[in-house]
Amino acid sequence: MKPLNILYEARSLAGAAVIACMPIAAVAQQSGGTLVMTVVPEPPSLASYNSTSQPIGQVATKVYDGLLSYDSETMAQPALAESWEVSEDGKSITFNLRQGVTWHDGEPFTSADVQFTFMEVLKKFHPRGVNNFRELLAVDTPDEHTAIFRLTGPAPYILRILSSYESPIVPKHAFGEQDVREYDKANMPIGTGPFKFVEWQRGQYMRFDRNEDYWKDGLPYLDRILARFIPDPGTRTAAMETGEVHLTAYSHIPTEDLGFLAEQDHLEVTQDGYEMMPGVTFLIFDTTEPPFDDVRVRQAVSYAIDRQFITDAVWNGYGKPATGPMDSKMIWYSDDVRDYTVADRLDIANQLLDEAGYPRDESGIRFEITHDVQPYGEVWQRFGEVVVQQLADVGIDVTIRYEDTPTWLNRVFTDYDFAMTSTGYFNFSDPVIGVHRGYHSNQIQQGTVFVNASRWSSPETDQIMNEAAVEIDFDRRMGLYAELQRLVVDAAPHVFVQEPAQISVYNSKVNGLLESPFGSFWGMDTVWIEQ
Amino acid sequence: MTQSRKRVLFIAKRLLQAVPVIFGIVVVNFLLLQLMEGDAVDVLAGEAASATPEYMAQLREKFGLDRPFHVQLWAYVSNVIVLDLGYSFRYDMPVVDLIMTRFWPTMLLMTTTLFIAITVGIILGLLAATGLNRWRDTIISVLALVSYATPLFWVGLMLVLLFSVRLGWLPTSGMETIAAFYEGWDRVLDIARHMVMPVTALSLFYMAAFTRLMRASMLEQSNMDYVTTARAKGLTERRIAWVHVLRNALLPVLTMGGVQVANLLGGSVIIESVFGWPGMGLLAFEALFARDLNLLLGIFLFAAILVLATNLIIDILYTFLDPRIELS
Repeated sequence: MKPLNILYEARSLAGAAVIACMPIAAVAQQSGGTLVMTVVPEPPSLASYNSTSQPIGQVATKVYDGLLSYDSETMAQPALAESWEVSEDGKSITFNLRQGVTWHDGEPFTSADVQFTFMEVLKKFHPRGVNNFRELLAVDTPDEHTAIFRLTGPAPYILRILSSYESPIVPKHAFGEQDVREYDKANMPIGTGPFKFVEWQRGQYMRFDRNEDYWKDGLPYLDRILARFIPDPGTRTAAMETGEVHLTAYSHIPTEDLGFLAEQDHLEVTQDGYEMMPGVTFLIFDTTEPPFDDVRVRQAVSYAIDRQFITDAVWNGYGKPATGPMDSKMIWYSDDVRDYTVADRLDIANQLLDEAGYPRDESGIRFEITHDVQPYGEVWQRFGEVVVQQLADVGIDVTIRYEDTPTWLNRVFTDYDFAMTSTGYFNFSDPVIGVHRGYHSNQIQQGTVFVNASRWSSPETDQIMNEAAVEIDFDRRMGLYAELQRLVVDAAPHVFVQEPAQISVYNSKVNGLLESPFGSFWGMDTVWIEQ
Repeated sequence: MTQSRKRVLFIAKRLLQAVPVIFGIVVVNFLLLQLMEGDAVDVLAGEAASATPEYMAQLREKFGLDRPFHVQLWAYVSNVIVLDLGYSFRYDMPVVDLIMTRFWPTMLLMTTTLFIAITVGIILGLLAATGLNRWRDTIISVLALVSYATPLFWVGLMLVLLFSVRLGWLPTSGMETIAAFYEGWDRVLDIARHMVMPVTALSLFYMAAFTRLMRASMLEQSNMDYVTTARAKGLTERRIAWVHVLRNALLPVLTMGGVQVANLLGGSVIIESVFGWPGMGLLAFEALFARDLNLLLGIFLFAAILVLATNLIIDILYTFLDPRIELS
């Protein structure tokens, strides 16, 4: 067997079992205590196996485990699978499952659960799973502790999407013969995870208590996790200040409040801990109609946008300017792309617009457009205002339109009734999941949100993505993605503006939050509170 | 016919009249909500930040959103007739259950607020009217004006800033201290502590309206003939104000109380969001942005019934305050 993918396979084989049981070698962990975190908005359910909704992910990961987990360098680590092996042709993956693991109701965890989870639940009903596991033909279970994935072809990204958030393992016995969507314990979940679900008081909180029989000895440290739903951002800030709440993740504290919160002795503000939740904020053009059907106009707008100013002024210095469709936290990131931040960028922009046949009229205006700002709060409105100013510099007159979320989603992704809009996509853990969706022609799906709404594609880039999806040689895959980034940035269907920071605010008593690359989308078994 | 028999007949008649009114409300609400862009599936998929067309089609089929509009309306109305409010799209549970868990917190907030706002409003109005154009009147009138003109959410946040963050006396939000698991009187006390700020913020606003109304009403009544008669009889000004004028002046305040119940539901949307109070207002707010039509229609229906019921109660109260008013 040859090492297939140096970065994410090498540590997986020999070292797997050792790392699994190794306690973290710090000195002062203390057991006990209750962690209070905010979750916004209130999750619609706890069914993380058929919804990728973010609030659900933040709570359900306390209850459900994944086959693998990922360390802060995004390397795969053993979880319910103690070790794994990819066959030489890349068409099968063998998982050796942990023995002696029990579900929260006392039943043993076996390979039948793994087979059921992937074939009957995730592949059929998980919103991303339908795509994620398209290549998965079957899961063989030669014995109770071995599960073998049979694939139609190599699918290197599968080992990147086996976390408790992306692919939670669910109990076959509890589902029984029920329709997965009608599962009667959806909101009283039974998992193998570090915490057991106790109660859900609608409009108030969810409570999770320590799983005494967790398969990691001595873990979790916490006695209890409470997830509170506080809808008002100002009140969340106040609750962090008073110490009523210990953790607010995913930038749910307004950026303008972060400055004075960071100055307080009992609070920490950080952008770390989101290595596996990378993303890019961008403007999307309607590339099917004038003026943005012309690549020169799109490039001109891209040159006209001052990314550093936007990071500093709109996002208060959090995050950093983006160069292309991938966040620089991605392994496959390449900065070998057209540089839109050159010193004479405004001259280039003006020249491109002249060439494209949009001269300035007597009042200096070339054309007028409407910018549909993503309706996700004040910070986006500020972003919209800055874009108005920056595009006015090159003679484009922009009007802002700000609607409510369902109206905006419908306008952009169903009616295609826009010229330019702002949003951002998570890259997730692999480009196949998080990047292809913005640029592949097969992702032009009217009515589906957060896919290729610019409707730009090219046979060349389609071909690169098709190859990269099944390429098991790491270097060749890197090369393909570098080329993809170069082509997409040149064609500029999006203006890549910012790598958004995901910000956590937490009480200094809380330790170990940053050991996961998933923000708060993980079991938090190694998190502990100073008593 | 005796007065009590009249009352029973009156109530029966009003209840009968309420049926077509509620039916009309259901249909109009349904039509209005159809005008909104986007549906619950867009929102669920939007929150997920990704979704496949298969998944979205699956959800629309499950929610019945793929059916033609008139079929949806017919299905909804025929369900409401048998008191079935359907399932919430977002929470995947019966709308009635969802509303019931959120109904009592809102009722607690509303009744306390109404009680405080009306009582304090009446007293302040009375004090202002009896001290007309003197310092007492000026202070009360200015206070009423300021608290009426200040936005609710701002008052809420300022209270949080002062009493929770600066002074540390009261919890910022929620209905109870959730990690404490209080029982019995400890729990009652704990909930009362959580109620102080939301009730204060809401009461300040509505109290202002009652104060102004009570003052005006007292002044109007004091010009009536019966006041002159009372004065001619040699009654003291204090007795005239507290016994004769007060009772008559209360009638418009009571009417206003009925009208304010509907407004209060609106105000509770803001206050419940600021204080994370698990009530119906917050639920309605979330349901609107989630395009959870069944839930929203259910809440509207509940609110309509609540307003109709309050107005009926107020009409009956009239007859106690002023025996000259007859129920017909």
